[in-house]
Order: sequence, then structure tokens, then C-alpha cells
Amino acid sequence: MTSAAHQQDRVKHLFIWPAVLIVLVVSLFPLIYALTVSFQTVRIVPPTPPRFVGLANYAEIAGSARFWGAIWTTALITFLSVALQYALGFMLALALHHNVPGTALYRVTFLLPMFLAPVGVALIARMIFHPYLGPVNDAMAGLGFAYVPFLTEKWPAIMVLALIDIWQWTPFVTLLMLAGLQGLPQEVFEAARVDNISAWRRFWGITFPMLLPLSVAVIFIRLIEGFKIIDTVFVLTGGGPGTATETLTLFAYNEGFKKFNLGLTSALSFLFLIVVIVFGTVYLAAAQRVTRRFA
Amino acid sequence: MTENRSLRHIGLILCLLWLLLAAFPLYWVLITAFKPPLAVSQGPTYIPFVDYQPTLQAFRDAFAGLRGDFTGPIVSSILISITSTALSVFLGTMAAYALVRFNYRIRLVSGLAFATISIGGFVLLDIFTDLRVPYALGLVLVTALPVAIWLNGRALPGPVMGNDDVTFWFVSQRIFPPIVSAFAIYLLFAEMGKIGLPLLDTFGGMVIVYTAFGLPFAVWLMRDFLSTVPLEVEEAAMVDNIGRVRIFLQIVLPMATPGLIATSMIVLAFVWNEFLFALLLTTGDWQTLPILLAGQNSSRGDEWWAISVAALISIAPMVVVSTILGRMMRSGLLSGSIK
Repeated sequence: MTSAAHQQDRVKHLFIWPAVLIVLVVSLFPLIYALTVSFQTVRIVPPTPPRFVGLANYAEIAGSARFWGAIWTTALITFLSVALQYALGFMLALALHHNVPGTALYRVTFLLPMFLAPVGVALIARMIFHPYLGPVNDAMAGLGFAYVPFLTEKWPAIMVLALIDIWQWTPFVTLLMLAGLQGLPQEVFEAARVDNISAWRRFWGITFPMLLPLSVAVIFIRLIEGFKIIDTVFVLTGGGPGTATETLTLFAYNEGFKKFNLGLTSALSFLFLIVVIVFGTVYLAAAQRVTRRFA
Repeated sequence: MTENRSLRHIGLILCLLWLLLAAFPLYWVLITAFKPPLAVSQGPTYIPFVDYQPTLQAFRDAFAGLRGDFTGPIVSSILISITSTALSVFLGTMAAYALVRFNYRIRLVSGLAFATISIGGFVLLDIFTDLRVPYALGLVLVTALPVAIWLNGRALPGPVMGNDDVTFWFVSQRIFPPIVSAFAIYLLFAEMGKIGLPLLDTFGGMVIVYTAFGLPFAVWLMRDFLSTVPLEVEEAAMVDNIGRVRIFLQIVLPMATPGLIATSMIVLAFVWNEFLFALLLTTGDWQTLPILLAGQNSSRGDEWWAISVAALISIAPMVVVSTILGRMMRSGLLSGSIK
């Protein structure tokens, strides 16, 4: 080995190892410990020595209605908001792509919601959807409707939670779809226009299929991020009424930090990971099918 | 052509409606911060000077510390997010540069060996010895790593992974539900505390966690930015026998400045707004702004003017961040990275 190549080799490792080590030590190694804890009974209050219980923790979680309820709530909020985000975001991107007046103005208002702390956004939503002091119910009353108890009943609360996610993340879809639209080859559209093909058919025949791979990726990112939802629920409803709006992450938090049963919570968080992997795999497999049909 | 015109009208209406929907909550929090209590408790009021007389009282109260400690969480949020953003962008850029310029070959076998030795070794140590958890994990790491590196150098069968897989490995951290690692980190930090290295609710602990949390973004974004930096300049420098580290610091980093700024802004925003890790890992001294905000809710009831001030304080830096990013996007600096 020449000295230059040798030096190259040393530098190559110097550059990548710090990042790899931090991710290994901080993100992955704690998981090993949590995995072993998930097979034990560990309590902080009252302190008891760890005892190996096999799969009992997993069985207990999988058998609890609250766990399945949390999965259902999380999936509901996520699917609802991602579906609307995608439809709305794509439409906005199309409008912006065709140079609707005032594009510069939209840029900043598009970026801002994404960068706000979900906790802060949830607080604002709490004010706006307050049953008596909020503007939404004020407007409802003005239109002759009855006051809606937005945050204390299951379905209105889920709608508000989905709405917050839509408010924050539709711009993300718009930005990525806009970038995709701008990257499409113009010749195809010119040809279609010459052949006098309607805008509707141009969209479903050309634009949509060509952007399908990007759409799959964008929706995937949003689904994965959506499943992590806790901040807004924590502030807005605290999971209530009862456990009607409790999401998976919030369930894990409540379980671990209010009951101090560490073994059970570790098992729960690994089950959560499995749920995400299953959902992700099913989604990607389904997306592949759809893509193939259009291609 | 008429079809086109009506479509344009629909598009414009849609955009205006969205603008209204996007702006209203921001307008609401802004005006509420200036409302006197009566303008809140007697039902919604909409227009300052018409519906009510704006007042700065809520801001004065907040900064006088009349309503709990505001400055503490603000200072910790600023210190923690700037330090960890700087660290993760710097280390992430190094890794991204390495992934763009060098070739890595990792054997699947050695990766599997690493995982097996780490998990198996830790379980065995946990069952058969009284070794403290952090020591056991450290021992497992220093055994598994050299073995895996040694195996990687052997001519073994099986698939070989390249740079894209390494990048995916970094990014895959984001697929994990954060509660999984947050809870695991909480457990480990608690154990570290028992052996005399306090990490729960400390500056160091939070910085380590957020650096790791920001790294996937930094590696992913910077890899795209760095791949647009032309190779020729670097090659010229290499001919002049300038070392890689100097090339990186003095040539590559300055050329990638727009990318560095954009990446830092995005990482900063994520750290600044992060809630779950802060909720689990801090209890008082190093509590960050999102935790303070979440607490407002239960401790303040319907004192919306005070809550709005708190929300505005957390929003303000992000307005700056999104303005800078918006400018960069308009001038086309970010167009490459989105694709």
C-alpha cells in the first residue's frame, strides 16, 4: 500500500467514525438494555429487584384493550390527516406551479407552520377551539349552529388533532410536490397540449403517474412522522376524554411515567416499533403494486 | 383556453383560502398576547383598538418573572439547541463528506456479528454477572467493534453493503418511533447516574441526545449539498499535497456554506421544538421551552394572554429561521437538495 493510499484510508475512517459512534452509543445501545428490561419486571416505585418474566410483559400489552385502542386512534389521526395533506398539498403545488399570482407571499407562509413547535401550535388550537371563548364556536353561533365541545368529546377532538397536523404539514407536501412538478420534462406537456388533451386527462395520464414515486415517498415520510404524534395530544386533550384520544406514544409515556413499570413500558415501546414496521412494510408493498399498475 | 382560465381561478381561490387558514392562528396568537384579561374572558374579540385596548401587561409580567421562571427554560433551550446543532451539523457534514468522496464496503456478516455479540454479550453479562449496566454495555461495545472490523477485512461470503446503505442506516434512525429510544435512553441515563455520571436533566446529557437526534438530518441533507461541490478544486489541492482535513476545513466547508446554513436551520428547528426527549429526560434545571409551554396549559387555565406570550417566545426564532430558508429557496440555493 502506498503512503498516499494509506493516508487516504486513515482519513476515510477519521471522517465517518465520530458520527457512527454517536449514533451507535446514543441511539442503538440503549435499545439493547431496554430490550432485556422488556423481558423483566422492573419497578421503581416501589423498588423491586428485576425478575425475568419471559414474554409476560408482551402478552399483557397485546391483551390490553387500551393498546389496541391507542393503535386505532393513532392510525385514525394519521391516515385522516395524511390523506388530506396529500390531496390539499398536491392541489396547492399544482396551483403554484401554474404561477398563481403572489407566489412569493405563499413561500414564507408555507414554511412557517412546519417550523413551529407542535406544543405551541396545540396551545393556539386550544384557544381557537375553546368552547366559549374561542372564535370557532363564536362563528358557529353566528351561523346559527350550536356550540361544539371540541376538546372534550372524542370525535371533535380527533378532528381537531388531525386538523392541526394538516395545518402544520400540508406545506411540506406542497414544497416537495412543487419541486417534483418543476423537475418534470416539459416536452411531454407541450405535445399533449398540441394534441388538445384536456387538463383533467393530462393530469391523470401524465402528471400523476410521473409523480407517483415521489408521492409514495412523501406519504411514507408523513405516515412515519404522523405515527409519532404526542405533543399536540398531550397539550390538547391529554388523551381524554378517558383514553378516547390516547395515541401510542402518549400511552407509552403514561404507562412508564405514571405507573413506573419499566419492563412493561419497554415491551410496549418494542411492540410499537413492530407496529410501525408492519404498517410501513404493508404500505410500501401496496404502493409498489399501485406504481406498477400505472407504469 | 376557457378551461385553463377557470382552472386558474379555482387554483387562486384555493391558494387564498389556504393563506387565510394558515395565517389565522398566527394572527390570533399575536393579538391575544396584547389582550387585557377582560377581552379574553368575556368571549372572543377580534380587532385590536376596535374590540379592545391592547396592552403590554402580559409581556411585562412574563419578563418580570411574576408567573414562574421564564428565563431559565429560554436560556437552557438556547444553549442546548445551539450547541447540539453545531455539533451534529459539523459531525454530520464530516460523515456526509466521507460518504460522497470515499467508498465504504461493509460485509453483512460483520454487521450481523456486531449485533449478535452486542445483544448476546449484554444478555449474558446481565444474567451471569453483577456488572453495572453502563459498564456491561461499554464492555460489549469494545469487544464487538474490533471483532466486526476484523471480520470486515476478511474475505468472507455474503452481500457487501456500500455507501447508500450507510446513509440509509443513518436515516433509518428517523423511522424508529422516538419513544422507543427516548425510553431506552432514560433507563440508561438513570443507570449512568447511579455510577456517578449524572446525565438526566443535565446540559451534557441533553446535548449528547440531541446531537444524535440531529445527525440523520445533517448526514442526509449535507450529502446532497456536498455532492454538488466540484471535485476539480479538491483535486488541484491534492496535487499541491494539501491534507484532506485541511481541504475539508478550508475548501469544502466554505464552498458548502449555503448548504451548511440551510441544514443548521432545519436541525436547529427540530431541536428547538423537540418535546418528547425533553419531557422524559429533564425534570427542572435544564427544562426546555416546549416543556414550559406544555405546562402553561394546566397551570394557567384560561389566562390566554400569558399563554400567548409564551407561545410567541417559542415562535419568534422560528420566524427568523423560516424567513432565511424562504430567501434561500427563492434564490434557488436549495433547489438541488429537495430532489
